[in-house]
Amino acid sequence: MNESLAERRDTGRIDFRMRGVVGVWLRHYTAFKGGWMIEMTGILLEPVFILAAVAFGIGKLVGDVELRDGGVGYAVFVAPGIVIGNAMWHALFECSWGAFRRLQTNRIYDSILSAPVSMRELALGEITWGATRALMTTAAVLAFATATGLVESPWAIGILGIGLLTGLMFGGFGLIAAAIAPSTHMLTLVFTMVGTPLFFFSGTFFPISTLPTWVQPIAWSLPLTHPVRIARALSTGDLHMGLLWSMLYLLVAALVFYPIATLLLRRRLLV
Amino acid sequence: MVRAAGLVKKFGDFIAVDGISFEVKRGETFGMLGPNGAGKTSTLRMMSGLSPVTSGELEIDGIDATANPRTIRDVIGVVSQHDGLDPDISVRDNLTIYGFYFGLDRKMAARRADEVLDFFDLRSRGGDSVDDLSGGMRRRLTIARAFVSRPRLVVLDEPTTGLDPSSRNSVWEQLAVLKNSGVTVVMSTHYMEEAAILCDRLVIMDEGRILGAGTPEDLIRERAGADVAQVRPEAGERDSVKRKLKETGYEVTEIGAIFTVRGLNHTRADLTKISGARISFRPPNLEDVFLSLTGRGIRDE
Repeated sequence: MNESLAERRDTGRIDFRMRGVVGVWLRHYTAFKGGWMIEMTGILLEPVFILAAVAFGIGKLVGDVELRDGGVGYAVFVAPGIVIGNAMWHALFECSWGAFRRLQTNRIYDSILSAPVSMRELALGEITWGATRALMTTAAVLAFATATGLVESPWAIGILGIGLLTGLMFGGFGLIAAAIAPSTHMLTLVFTMVGTPLFFFSGTFFPISTLPTWVQPIAWSLPLTHPVRIARALSTGDLHMGLLWSMLYLLVAALVFYPIATLLLRRRLLV
Repeated sequence: MVRAAGLVKKFGDFIAVDGISFEVKRGETFGMLGPNGAGKTSTLRMMSGLSPVTSGELEIDGIDATANPRTIRDVIGVVSQHDGLDPDISVRDNLTIYGFYFGLDRKMAARRADEVLDFFDLRSRGGDSVDDLSGGMRRRLTIARAFVSRPRLVVLDEPTTGLDPSSRNSVWEQLAVLKNSGVTVVMSTHYMEEAAILCDRLVIMDEGRILGAGTPEDLIRERAGADVAQVRPEAGERDSVKRKLKETGYEVTEIGAIFTVRGLNHTRADLTKISGARISFRPPNLEDVFLSLTGRGIRDE
């Protein structure tokens, strides 16, 4: 009952300060700046290793992949999948593991909330930082893919936006996991049971049509499927009306986790 | 500055704060003294707008704290038991970013950070990581952080718990200087000495209730008398000493192997007749007040 009271007080009037969000983002940026050389290995090098191995190694063994408007080389097919899959990993990691560390281990949320920052602002600061990291890695890996000739259309610039939305979506999801996880031990489930299957089965490394018929609807319902689908269309320049559904899915998913995360964090911390 | 009336905090069925009322005047240092679980932290968290008030009234600087938890945090500085210092950014950034949350622009936040670093003797550590600071320095930094925003009221939850004596002294010194500058302070502690040294007025709390209130001197005079005797029975004499002490009619509490006798008159004559025990006298302190109010020591858990 206490939470619901606090809830109503907090939502009853418009009391949202952008400064709180910017402050939390600024804290993350300051920490990031302090170790940017090491951060770059995760943002650029690791995904580039994966992309290079899959595109130029495995890709040599695999024939063309049939898309809506004809076949493309496997390297061209897989590049947007890896770019967006990697954006997911970064947001998910930052907002679950990183957030849990701040929440539980170092109790930084306690001090942020003892300043005039509301939970809603704190949560949005976390998620936008997760999305910022997703954007940074999207830009870095996309630049590499472009330089190595894996991008076929100038529309590919739009992949930056898709990476950002993917970051918001998985940032929100990760923060929910951090808010309910009793320990870091449980948090690893987010990576093994959510991150890994999504990374491999969302049309990232192979078309969903190659899966058994009964699995395909499940694959289509996965959240990573849709940003990957849009990113691939932008990369090959094959834009069509069917993508609007994926876009709608992505926009809703990018927004829906945020209020839930706020609520769960309140329940955990403001007691 | 602070007014609480019938303040209650429940966690499910557990009553952490059981309808307490108190007032804190502008500029004074107000203490909450009591053992762990007395309801001090819950009270301070409600005052800091970090914990919803279950029922009762709570007003901070004229603001209704039950309805405006965030507005409260605009005007107060909070020092919680957990430092909550950020190991991923420098000592100085811990302060500037905290100032930014309060609405200071980055230039102003940087200036305030330098001022409080100077005051708390941490200037030379500004570029270091929080992890490299000693326990005492970490605590000073946590207190410094609460002062970045120039708060009208500072709330400290057990500011020296876990510190070694010399770090504790330096925290006390700095709090004394700040107190002199006119800021209102509300602090909790389970150190009698700390409460006696720093607090203008205090309440003694136990099990969610306030058992006594006043200046340290008044509380001691009213509850513990002019003198306290400590009676240590020799081996095998415990029962007989206990019986004789009872006959004197004074307030007696047994803790460990020692009887504490309060409310003595100055003649001490009744006690000197007791044989089979070593008897020493000392001035009364807040521990005796707590003993007298609860019948047990403050650190008995």
